[in-house]
Parts: sequence; structure tokens; C-alpha cells
Amino acid sequence: MEYIILITGLALILMGLYGIMYIKNIFRIVIAFALFDTGINIVMVTIGYLRNGMAPILDKMPTEGTTPAIVDPVPQALVLTSIVIGLGVSALMLTYVLKLYEDKKSLDINSFKDLKW
Amino acid sequence: MLMSSTMRRIIARVSGRIGIPWYQPWIDLTKLYSLRTQISHGTMFYLGPVFRLMGGVGMFLFMPMIFGSDLWSNYSFSGDLVLILYFQFFGMLGMALGAGEGGHPYSAIGISRGLSQFTTIEVPMTLAVISLAIQYDTLSIAKIVEAQQGGIMHWTLFTNPFATVAAMLSLLGAFGHSPFNLVKAPNEIPIGPPTEYHGTFLGVLRTNSAILHVAEAALFMNLFFGGASNWFELIIKTFLIYFWSVFVGTVFPRFRIEQSVVWFLKWPTIIGIIAIIIYL
Amino acid sequence: MVAPIYIIAIALGLAFTMGLFGKQLKNIAGVLFIAGLGSLTFISGQWLWNFMVNSAATEIIYTAGFKPPFAIVLQMGFEEAVLTTMINVAGLLGALYLFPLLDKKGNNAMMVYLIFIMSTNVAVMTSDIFNLFVFTEVESIALAGLILLTGQSKAFQAGMKYLIVSGISSGLLLLGIIFAYQFSGSLTIIDMINANLWAVKASSIAAFLLIVAFIIEMKPFPANGWGIDVYTAAHPGIGAMVSAAGASASLYVFYKVMPLVNGNDWYYFIALIGAITFVGSNLVATRQENPNRLLGYSSIGQVGFLMMILGLQDVLGERTLIISFSILISHYAAKAGLFWISGILNAENIKDWSALRKNPILLFLFGAFLFALIGFPPFPSFFGKWELIMTLSQTGNYSWIVVILVASFIEGIYLFRWLGYAIKLDHAQLPAFKTPWYQLIPIMSMGLILFGMSAYLTHVFNFGPAINYIPLLFVLAIFAIDFLPAYIKNTVSIAGIAYYTYYLWPSLENDLLRQIFIGIFLGGAILTLVAGYAKKGTRAGFYPMALMMFAGLVGLIEAKSMLQFFFNWELMTAGSYFLIIRGKRSMPHAYSYILFSIAGAYAILMGFGLAYGSQLNGNLDALSQISLLPALAYSLLAVGFMTKTASLGLHIWLPGAHGEAESDVSPMVSAILLKAGVFGLILLFLSIGVDNPNATTLLYVLGWVGALTTLIGNMGAVFQEDAKRLLAYSSIGQLGYILFAFTFMTHMGWLAGFTYTINHFMFKAILFLVIGGIVVKLGTHNMYEMGGMIKKMPFSFIAVLISIIVIGGIPPLSGFAGKWLFYNAVIEKGWYFQGAIIFFAGIVAFLYLFKLIYSVFLGQLKDNHRNVKEISAWILIPSYILIIGIMIFSAFPQYILQPISDMIAPHFQSETITWTGSLATTSLGYWDATTIMIVVGTAFMLLLGWLIWLSAKAQKVEQFNIVFAAERPFRPETTHVSYNIYAGYQKALGWIVAPGITNFWNTMSTNLLEFAGWTRRIYSGSIQNYTLHVILFIVVFYLISIGGL
Repeated sequence: MEYIILITGLALILMGLYGIMYIKNIFRIVIAFALFDTGINIVMVTIGYLRNGMAPILDKMPTEGTTPAIVDPVPQALVLTSIVIGLGVSALMLTYVLKLYEDKKSLDINSFKDLKW
Repeated sequence: MLMSSTMRRIIARVSGRIGIPWYQPWIDLTKLYSLRTQISHGTMFYLGPVFRLMGGVGMFLFMPMIFGSDLWSNYSFSGDLVLILYFQFFGMLGMALGAGEGGHPYSAIGISRGLSQFTTIEVPMTLAVISLAIQYDTLSIAKIVEAQQGGIMHWTLFTNPFATVAAMLSLLGAFGHSPFNLVKAPNEIPIGPPTEYHGTFLGVLRTNSAILHVAEAALFMNLFFGGASNWFELIIKTFLIYFWSVFVGTVFPRFRIEQSVVWFLKWPTIIGIIAIIIYL
Repeated sequence: MVAPIYIIAIALGLAFTMGLFGKQLKNIAGVLFIAGLGSLTFISGQWLWNFMVNSAATEIIYTAGFKPPFAIVLQMGFEEAVLTTMINVAGLLGALYLFPLLDKKGNNAMMVYLIFIMSTNVAVMTSDIFNLFVFTEVESIALAGLILLTGQSKAFQAGMKYLIVSGISSGLLLLGIIFAYQFSGSLTIIDMINANLWAVKASSIAAFLLIVAFIIEMKPFPANGWGIDVYTAAHPGIGAMVSAAGASASLYVFYKVMPLVNGNDWYYFIALIGAITFVGSNLVATRQENPNRLLGYSSIGQVGFLMMILGLQDVLGERTLIISFSILISHYAAKAGLFWISGILNAENIKDWSALRKNPILLFLFGAFLFALIGFPPFPSFFGKWELIMTLSQTGNYSWIVVILVASFIEGIYLFRWLGYAIKLDHAQLPAFKTPWYQLIPIMSMGLILFGMSAYLTHVFNFGPAINYIPLLFVLAIFAIDFLPAYIKNTVSIAGIAYYTYYLWPSLENDLLRQIFIGIFLGGAILTLVAGYAKKGTRAGFYPMALMMFAGLVGLIEAKSMLQFFFNWELMTAGSYFLIIRGKRSMPHAYSYILFSIAGAYAILMGFGLAYGSQLNGNLDALSQISLLPALAYSLLAVGFMTKTASLGLHIWLPGAHGEAESDVSPMVSAILLKAGVFGLILLFLSIGVDNPNATTLLYVLGWVGALTTLIGNMGAVFQEDAKRLLAYSSIGQLGYILFAFTFMTHMGWLAGFTYTINHFMFKAILFLVIGGIVVKLGTHNMYEMGGMIKKMPFSFIAVLISIIVIGGIPPLSGFAGKWLFYNAVIEKGWYFQGAIIFFAGIVAFLYLFKLIYSVFLGQLKDNHRNVKEISAWILIPSYILIIGIMIFSAFPQYILQPISDMIAPHFQSETITWTGSLATTSLGYWDATTIMIVVGTAFMLLLGWLIWLSAKAQKVEQFNIVFAAERPFRPETTHVSYNIYAGYQKALGWIVAPGITNFWNTMSTNLLEFAGWTRRIYSGSIQNYTLHVILFIVVFYLISIGGL
């Protein structure tokens, strides 16, 4: 099960990268970037997951000498932060798409090659 | 002087004329010295002939004329072969400058040609001198002469033939007779500097050219033909050396400047290089 | 002490508050903004002060009172204090610079700016890798916001590219973090490092992802198109922040995480990436004309350089930090300053920077920043590079040295072109620009920081004792009074130099070599400065630069260690560059001069490095015992010095540089400056010693080079029409003689060399002074436009006449001494053919000497020159002093040559020269200068007197009272035969001076630029290509590092 999720995550990352590199519409490129980001988040969650583990919320003190099978909370915390940041980045990208569209009335990535060499 | 008249006779004979009497140059000279100039182009104009004559006289002064004679070794104690070689330039430079001040365009043309040709004339000469210095391990003319004493086979001519040939070819240019007389180019350019200088100046120049020729011939005699131990030998030898160039000159037509420049860098230079290689 | 946590607190608090302010409180927002940045600067500065003065202990701050991983850990150590101070100072100054723009854009812009500075601070301080990730992200988001400030189309595109690529790299970082966390169980960097992730194959992927993400952040070549676009399109004020603050922070972050892959191979790859970036970016920059983009390339190149240094830290050991800091601080101050200047000029093309010369302060700072980038003294990067190269050499890492020097040279190619444009490019109309105080202050502050750090780092490196500050302070003092009229500064300068000579002289007792050169350098300085009285006005900038050159020259003499020598060598180069570029048409020539000079300097540096590595001894005498690659070391040093002596192959800069220079600069750079190269060669040859098996071939080759240089130089002079260029070519020839003489390594050869050195100093100074004066007076360089000057300028004529007699080597003047010694030396040494070439060249010299004196002084006076007068007495005075020198040297050479003879005798076993009074005798020949002088002088006077007596009644001829070809000339032009008078000669032998070498260098530079042009096509402008580059970069790096390719 974890592997399926892990593989899904990695697949999303690759899809995202592919999209960033080969799609011509910048709006879709932003979507591809979101896919890439999601893929990374999924991978992160998977890494911290423990089979049959509990959610990392302790409602009572664990018994002395045993370790409760809880999922590592750190990756989850990280994923939360990362999602927030990803949201910010995506929003900023969309702003840029808007600006670019306003400027050239085009969404084709190839119209934005003014800066080179 | 005598050489000069003889030269003209030889040229005349070759071209089927009788030519001037042998004493003509002296007559000319006497006349020239008695003339007084009425004009001046400026100080440098005077200095030209002075420098020129200085070059000739200087060469003469610093060269031992007669082997073994204290009196006729002149000031040779204060400088060696290198001094003589460089003293030639003194006169040349002065002449060039003096003529330049006249403002006559032909002067400049003549001088530029002369200097151009001179650069390459000196190449085989330099090689020959180096070769001699290696051979005799000295730059002192007196010592070179000394080493050549004791029979004709001791002469450089036979002990170091390549150097001699290179130097003799270079001498052709140095004397400036045909085929290397484009510098003066007696027909086309009305002789450049000599036209500008007249009267006394021309006299000085004539005197100088005589001195210079003798000095150079004497130098060659010293270097290659065993030097001279008395006046008679001196006169004969210098005479013969001088006429080498005259004879060649009457036979060959004149070279253009780029031809003559290149010519000296060909065979004479190669011979000069050989002269050095054999001592390596 | 204020805890560093307040940096975050103040910045965040302010940023949030400002968001609430709205439009009404705009003014207060502005005040708060600056105050906030000021307090950040204060906090970090206070920590820095504490660490430096009180040597406080590193402070670790656990936020919210928890231990990691549940809390953020900040660390404030010395290094963090330095970095944050740098960031905050740049932030504060940058805010001042950008204030009107930020103010116009409203509170939000200020907020974003604050966030940018704050996140950069935190990235430096944090010890937690996830925290690092967060703040790196915040930093990029803030930056993406700041890029929008200009509101231009290009900025949008650049920002988009930046966002996408940095998004990808932070995605990789996240992946790396989570893997690393899984293997190490911690999020603090130090724990991860201790887990040795790199050691195990499985976990090494985690380390790889982390490292590669940080490398991408630093924009490695060629996967950096997205970063360069930001520099190009963003407002230069933002560019300054990215380059100064951002790059410093990411370098420090990289330094912190590098141990994650602690392993030699990894570090090696990192150094390699850095090196490729350093070379590649600089190479591509050579074709760049947009100033911001150019600065972007340069920034990335410098970061690559620093990455390389960090990658080499195992080699460099404890010196790593100080070396990288010295490079970093130069980069920091220079780049910030340059970007800010660019913002003021707002030019699209570096050619428009010629407007900068309207503002001398900015121009000065611009020059200082560029020199700091390249690594000239006294800037920190000079010491950094010196230390770096010495250490690398000591550990045998020669190829790295080559990379550094090559890349630095390429850097010089475009930076000096730029500087040349700014100083000298002809511009129909200089674009106008305004310099408001709030923009000038930040730039000047960066300048101050640069100079302050120079002084500080000199102290830290303990190089202080190696540097003689007296001349430098004098230069500064002259700079301070630069507004005064020229004659005052001239007097002060002469007095200063004279006093210094007096002060220095006793310390040189028993050291004739240095006495001779001090005579040439400082005596020459005084004499050429005297000629400066002829100039009117203030001559802004002339005196500081001239004195800087002389200070460098003196320093060479005084140098005991290689560092001193090199320091002064560079000082002299910089000074002379500014002197040369003062000429009207000097821009391209000064450019080629400085390029040859820095290439030569790098060759010397590498040679010194090898010497230092061999002996672990920084003194100059280490040169005599080079054991590491000695043949190479000696060759490098020789080539380096020969760039200054303009030997064959390296001479092409000289004719233009000397020919186009100002009339009194030409003698300085020709008669005096070239001798610095000679001095270097002498020191080198003395160190090599006779019969050093490692240098036999070198000396033989150099001998030929010297002989051919003479020929080419003299031949070249023959065909010149420009009087000063003729003299310049003649200098090449004369320096060829000198080089040739010293390669003999025999007593006679060296004596000839010294004779030539002294002669050349005297006659070339006279010639350049006089001809320079005439050129100014007549307003033309072309000799065929002159003529007949003998009547107008008799004193000049005599001076020139005497000089050319010396050059020609005609007895009785001192030039003959050189020739005579040469004949002896050549025959003794057995270098007959080289000798024959030398003598041939000597006769060729007559051609140009005649042309010079004839075309200028003789022949026909031109109509437009009928009213000219003799040149200024201020030029004639030094010339005649030198003529007196020549006369003394000619008549009594023994007084100078005999001591020299004694001095060099111990160094050579070969036969010596014997002096009996004035009579010099060798085994080959003899020469008595005094007698010759007397004989010639007497005969000369007699003949002259006689002739004058004969023609006492002569009348003056009118100019045109001549006849030729049955015509009477009516215009002087038609009868002044001067133009191309050696046409026949050129036809016969002109091929010798066919511009083969110039063509060679032209082809080289064209090819380099073509290659750069081809390389930079990778920057196609497409985001997708840039993404592809990054991915490919990652893949390749992966294959090499982990895949074990």
C-alpha cells in the first residue's frame, strides 16, 4: 500500500516535471508545477508513515517501556508547512501568469523569450 | 683620387671612349676648393660634409695603415675593428642630415635608397667580421694583420675564403658602383646630395669619398689580404681591392633598390653564414 | 545584548503592521521601514562587535524553549554575525537607495523588502534544515515580489522563470530533507552531518538531493539562465541585493550543509562545478553588452569561484574561511556598488557608461570596484587570491591555479573593456543622468567598506609589514589635492619623489643594481615630471596615477618578498594603465596593454606560487631554488616580465599605448616603465644563475626572441609615418637588445645589457619628450606633415640629433659602448647568428633614425608652421640634463661600467673586462672611450671651424630657391619627400614586419569571442530549456557523484 502511494507520488513528480518542460501554455505549466509539488508532499507523507500506526496524537500517557506505534509526526508537520508554502508559490505564479498575459495577450510560453544570451 | 680617374678611364674604355686624363680629378678638386659658397641652407648644411669627412678621417685615424709602424698605426690603440665599422656610419649620417637640410627632394630619395641598401650590405660584412673574430680570436686589426704575416698562404683570403668572398661582395655595395649605384643614380637623379653641395662642399665631399675609399680598401687589405708592411704594398693592395668593384661595376647593369636589398641577403649572406658555420 | 531572535521579531512584526497601515500612514511606514532595517543592522553589528572585541561565545537560541526537532534553533556565532551584518548593511543601504521607488509602490513593497532581508538573515542563522527550507522559500517568494517592482515585461518573464526553477530546486530540497530525516532521525543540520549520510549508498541519495538543491540555488553554469535573467530584468537595486546579500547568504548556507557529503570526491566535484561556473560565466560575459546582465554573469562567476574555494577546503585547511571571506567581501561591496551605479545610469549598453565620466566620484568608485573584482591591490581579493594560489601551489594543485588564473583573465577581458568605455569611449552625446544623494551615499558607503576591509584584511593576513605605506599615503595625499592647479601638484610630487629618493638611498648602499634602477625610476620620474610644468590646467587624475606607478616601481626595488614584489607590480600596472588611457585615442591601446599586463601578472603569480611551494619561503631568494616544475616556473616568470618589456609576440600593445599617450606620459611609460620588466628579468636571471640545467633551453630561446624582437621592432619603426609610433617601435627594438644581452649570462653580455638599459632610458626619454612636445606644438603625429623644424627648434634638433647618434651606436657617443660590448659578448658566447641579426637590426635602425630627424627637422618647412616657436623650456630642461648624462657616460663610461663590472663579476665565471683608466680591454679587443671622444671632438671642431671660415660671406637661401627636374617648387608639400620613403625597402623586406603576430592575437580573441557567442546560445530565453538544463545538470551530477561514472 505504501509503495503504491510512494510510486504515485514519484509519478506525479515526474509528470509535473514533464509538464513544466513540454507544455506550451503557461497556465498549464503552473498546474504541472502544482502536480510536482503535490507529488513531493505525497512522498513526504509516505516516508513518515508507519503501517498500522496511530495518528500522532496521544490521548493518554504510553505505558512505561513500550513504544506506541504512532506515525512520526514530524513529516506530517513538514508537509503541512510545505503545502502552505506551495500554495503561496502557486498563487504568486498565477499572479505572474496574469501579468504576462496582460503584457503580451498570449499564454504561449514561447512568446516570452525576450531575455536571452 | 688616382683611383677615381682610373676608374673613369676604365669605364670609358669599356664603352669605347678614351676618357679623362689621370690628373683630371686633381684639377677638379683644386678648382672646387678655390670656389667660395655664396649661399647657406643653415648650420646643418655645413655640418653634413663635416660629419661626412669626419667619418672618413675618423676611420682613417683609427685604423693601422702599415703593419709594424708606430706612426702609421694612427690612433688604433684606442679602438678595434668594431670602432671602424661603426665609424662609417658617422659620415653617412652626417651626409644624410646635411643633404636633408637643403630641402631638395632628390636628396631624401637618394639617402633613403642609400640607407636601405646599406642595411643589407652590412649583413655579409658583419658575418665576415664575426667569422674573422672567431678565426683569429681577436677584434684588434693589428692582431689580425699580425696573424696574416708570413707568406701569401697566411692571408685570410686563403685561410678563410668564405669570409673573404662574403666581405668582397659586400664591398661592391659599399663602394656604390654599378650595379649598386642606384643611390647616386648619376643619370636619373641629378646625383642627389652632390648637386646640392657645390664649391668647397663638393670639394670636401670629393676628398672624403677618396679618403673613404682608401680607408675601406685599406681595411679590407688589413683584414683579408695580409695588411701592408710598407707604403708600396699599401698602395698596390688598396688599388687592386678598389678595382675589383670597378671591374664588376662596368660589366653589370644597375639594380633597383628592392633588388639590390634582396641580393645582398641571398648569396653573400649565405656565404657569410657558411663562413661562420665552418668555425662552429 | 539584543538577542538575534529580535531580527525575526522586528522584521516580521513591522512587516505585518505595515500591511495594516493603509495609505494614510504612509510616511510613518517609511520611517519605520528604515528604522527597522537600521535596528536589524544594529543587532547583527552589535553581535559582530561582541565577537570581535569581547570574543564572546557562540550563542544558540532555542525558540519557544523546546529542543529540536520541535523548535527552531538559531545559531549566532562569529561567522553568522559577519554574514548577517553584511546582509543587513546591504539591506539598509539598498533600502535607502530604493527608497523613492519603494515609497511610490506603497507599504507592500517595503513589507516584501523587509521579508526578503529577514529571511536571508534567518537562512544564515538557522541550524535546522527544514527551517532553512522555509526561509529559502520565503526568500524566493519575496524576491519574486521584488522583481515585479519595475513593472516591465522583461521583469515578469524573469520572475516567472525564477519561480519555476527555484520551485523545482526547493522540491528537490524537500525530498532530500525527508529522506535525510528518515535516515538520521533529526532535522538539525549537525545531526544530519553526524549521521554520515553520504557514506551509505541508500542514504547518499538524500545527501545528494540536499546538496544538489543548494548547488542549483547558487546558479551553476550552465544551468543558470533563470538566475541571470533576474539580474538582467530586475531593478538594479534589487540586483544589488541578490548579488550582495542573497549570494553571500546562499554561499554561507552551502558552507553549512557541505559536510553532509563529507568525502573527498564530493568536494572535488563541488570544486569542479565551481570552476566550470567561474570559467563559463566569465567566458559568456565577454560578449555581453547589457550592464546588468554582465554584472549577473560576473556575480555568478564569483559565486562559482567561491564554491570552488569551498570545494577545495580540504586542501586549503584553516585558510579556507579567510580566503573565501576576502573574495566574498570584495564581491559583495563591488557588486552592490556596481549595480547601484548601473541603476543611476540606467543604460542598456555598457558603451553608454561613458556618461559616467561626468561624475568623477562615481567614475573613481567604478574603477575601484572593478579593480577589486579582478583582484588588484590593495583590495581584499588581491590578498585572497595570493593566499589561495600560494596554498594551492604548496599542495601541488597546479591545475586549479591555472583555472583560477584563466578565469580571472577572462574576467579582465570584459571588465577592462567596460572600464575603457567609461573612461574614454567617444560618445557623440553623453547621456544625461542624475545622482541623487540617497543613491550616492549607498555607493560611497560600499566604497568605504571596500577600502576599510582592505585595510582590515591586510592586517588579518599579516601582510601589513610587507607593504610600504609611505608612497601609498603620498599618492592619497596627492589625490586629496587633485583640484589644485597642475604646477602646484607637480612641485609637490617632485619634492616628494626627491625626498623619498634621498630617504631611500642609504638603504641601498652596496646594492648597485638597485641603485641603478632607482636612478632610472625616480630620477626619470623627476625629469619627466619637470616636463609636466609645460601643461596647463589641473590635469585631474594625472598626478595620483603617475605617482601610483612610481610608487609601484619604487616598491619593486624595495621588495624583499615575492608578495611585496607582486603587490607593487600590480600597483605599477594599475597606475600605468590609467596614465596610458589618458591619451586622446588610447582606449583600445590601454585595453590591450592591461590585458597583456594582467596575463603577464598571472604568469608571474603562478611562477611565484611554484617558488613558494618549493621553498615554503616567501622571500624573493626562493626563486633561486625552485624545485617544483622549475623549467615551467622560470618560463612563466620570464613570460610575465616580458609582457612589460614588450618582447616579440607580446609586443603588440606597445606601439599604440606609447604612441597615443600624452606627451609627457610617453617618456614615463617608455623610458621608465619598460625598465620594470628589465628589472624583473634581471632578478629572475640572477636567481636562475649560470648553468642552471632547468633554464638552459629557456635562455637560449629567449636569446632568439630577443634578437628577433630587435629586428622586428626596428623594421617596424622604419615603416611608420607617425613619429611617436616610430619611437614606440624603436623601444620594442631596444628592449629586444636588452633581453638578448641578459640572456647571455656572461659578464660581457650583462655589461652590454646594463649599458643598453641606461642608454635607452636616457635617449628614449629625450626623444619622447622632445618629439612629444613637437607633436603637441604642431598638432599632428604624422612626420610627413612636419619638416624644416631645424630653423624653428634648433635646441630640439640638437637633442634629437644626439639621441639618434646614441641609438645608432655611432662613436664617440655611448651607444657605441653597447655595440662594442655586444660584439665581444656575441663572439665570446658563440651566438653568431643571433648576433648577426642583432647587428643587422642595428643598421636597420639608421633607416628610421634618418626618417625621424629628416622628416621632422629637415626638408621643407610647411606653410602652416611658419610661426611655430621652440618647444617649451620645461621639456628642454630635462632633455638637456639627460644629454649631459649621455655626454658623461660617453666620455667616461668607466665610472659607471666598472662598478657594474665589479658587481656582476661574482655571478659569472666567464671572462671579464679589464679597465685601465678609460681603456677597456677584453680578450678580443679594446676600446678607449675618452681618447676617441677627444680625437673625434678635436677633428670635428677643426673641420667645422674651417668650413665656417670658408663660407663666412654666405647668404641665406630662400626655402624654395632650389631646382629639381627643371621645376621650381612652390609648395613645401610637393618637395618634402617623407611619406613612405622606404617603399623599395618595404617591397624587399617588408614581409618581416607583416602583422603576423597582431593577426595571431586578433584571431585568438575573435575565436574566444566566437566561442563565447556560441556558448551563450544555451541561454535561449525559454523557461523550458532552462528547466531542462537544471534537470540535466542534476542527472549528470548524480551520475558522476553517486553513479560512479
